Amino acid sequence: MTAPGLGSAVAAELDKLRTLPAMLLALAGTIVAGAALGSAFAAAAVAGRVALTATEATLATVPYLQAGMLVVGAWPFTHEYAGSQIRSTLAAMPRRPRLLVAKTIATLVAAGLTAAGTVAVTWAAGAITLRAHGIPEGDVGLGSLVGAVGYLLLMGLLAAGVALLVHHLVPTLVTTLSVVMIASPLLAAQSEHARWLPDRAAQQLYAATDAVLTPGTGSLVALGWVMAIGGIAALRFVRRDA
Amino acid sequence: MRLIRAVSAELSKCLTLPGGRAGIAVAMLGSIALTVLNAMTARRALASGQPELIASASPFETAFAAMPLGTVGAVVLGVIAIGSEYTPNSPDAGGGRQIGTTLTALPQRIGLLSAKAVAVVLLVVGIAAVTLPVSIGVARLIVGEFAVESVSVAEAVVRCLGGTLYWTLTGLMALAITTLTRSATVPLIVLIMNNSLVSFSLLLTNLTSLAHWLPDLAGRRLFTGIDTVDGGLDAVPGAWVMAAWTVALLLVAGAVLRRRDA
Repeated sequence: MTAPGLGSAVAAELDKLRTLPAMLLALAGTIVAGAALGSAFAAAAVAGRVALTATEATLATVPYLQAGMLVVGAWPFTHEYAGSQIRSTLAAMPRRPRLLVAKTIATLVAAGLTAAGTVAVTWAAGAITLRAHGIPEGDVGLGSLVGAVGYLLLMGLLAAGVALLVHHLVPTLVTTLSVVMIASPLLAAQSEHARWLPDRAAQQLYAATDAVLTPGTGSLVALGWVMAIGGIAALRFVRRDA
Repeated sequence: MRLIRAVSAELSKCLTLPGGRAGIAVAMLGSIALTVLNAMTARRALASGQPELIASASPFETAFAAMPLGTVGAVVLGVIAIGSEYTPNSPDAGGGRQIGTTLTALPQRIGLLSAKAVAVVLLVVGIAAVTLPVSIGVARLIVGEFAVESVSVAEAVVRCLGGTLYWTLTGLMALAITTLTRSATVPLIVLIMNNSLVSFSLLLTNLTSLAHWLPDLAGRRLFTGIDTVDGGLDAVPGAWVMAAWTVALLLVAGAVLRRRDA
């Protein structure tokens, strides 16, 4: 019997994600959180009489929403280790590099859908809240919204890389949340070198404020982190016992 | 006697679980490493005559800036202490959960939760007792002759104790919340995020001033200086509010744990 091709492997991985309740919960939770946060930011601006466009409200929610993306990115690479499913998967698909590529594509699809859906819903919630108070939603600024989707996607990939390395959801979340939420702002307050951290670099995609990094180089730096972590993890996954 | 044995059992669980060790490592090594980095930046800035580049020339403030990492460690310990009981084993080993064994060994559920709470308090206080003096010492050593200490010893002791109290209460709340959820994922996300700059509680303060009575915001003056948001409660009443939240959450967790099937 020959190993399945890449197409069927991707289809299998997508099927797993589609039928995993925790994955759907994470996806739906991120989108719902986006809607709630989007209207919360808009409502706070209305109450405080601050001018805010729906796009600005959306960008303000991104640091919160990345937590959901970390879960969405981590699940595809951890759920099979909760039991012995990884062994069934490897029996069905012994070509490990091909399996990894399939998993990565499936993760990209899931994380991309979540990121795009969340940003769209968040913007809509912000715009509706502003309209409800009789305030126009302002310029769309599609570029920064697309940047926000890109940022969220990169954070999902970062979690996926760490997840492939440590195999379990809880340690993945502790590591990535601590780095992105706690360590990165603390370091940024102290040292300009913090701009090279994955989340700081990727932030240039939707908030280009850095003196050195541009949206392009920033996302490359973040992608470099993902490739470095994921590359080591992938090497180990391919070479070692399951 | 029974409580002492139960506490030592819970301590040994926390100390041998990889997650527990990770929590301790984040709080101790993470804080110290961040302090080293901060102190080196401070030293460079002060040595080159640019004190405006850094927040403060005080070694105490430099070390204290790493406090949020200790909170993460306390959250991880509190979550792991009870969350690990509910994690299913590998299906090859029967797929059971440790809580069954634990309750067979110690059927008094309130006793179990108390033992876990005492273990979390001991660990967090122990971490603080090592981390804070070491961090401050390291900061003093690195910043060296450029240091301008603006914090008196008495104030430093009070703030260290306040920070330790904040860590401890946070760890206990993590324990109580995870007892209710029986899963580590959601409490970890919510509690770690709430201790970051993008805290949900902080966002709520924009909508209603009642949010200042939420536990993490009520207690934040225990840090003083870290969080510069105006308004809210002073340190002492804030600490009481935070402690009241912790006790209430632990009581609810105890009642639920006692009534519910494991």
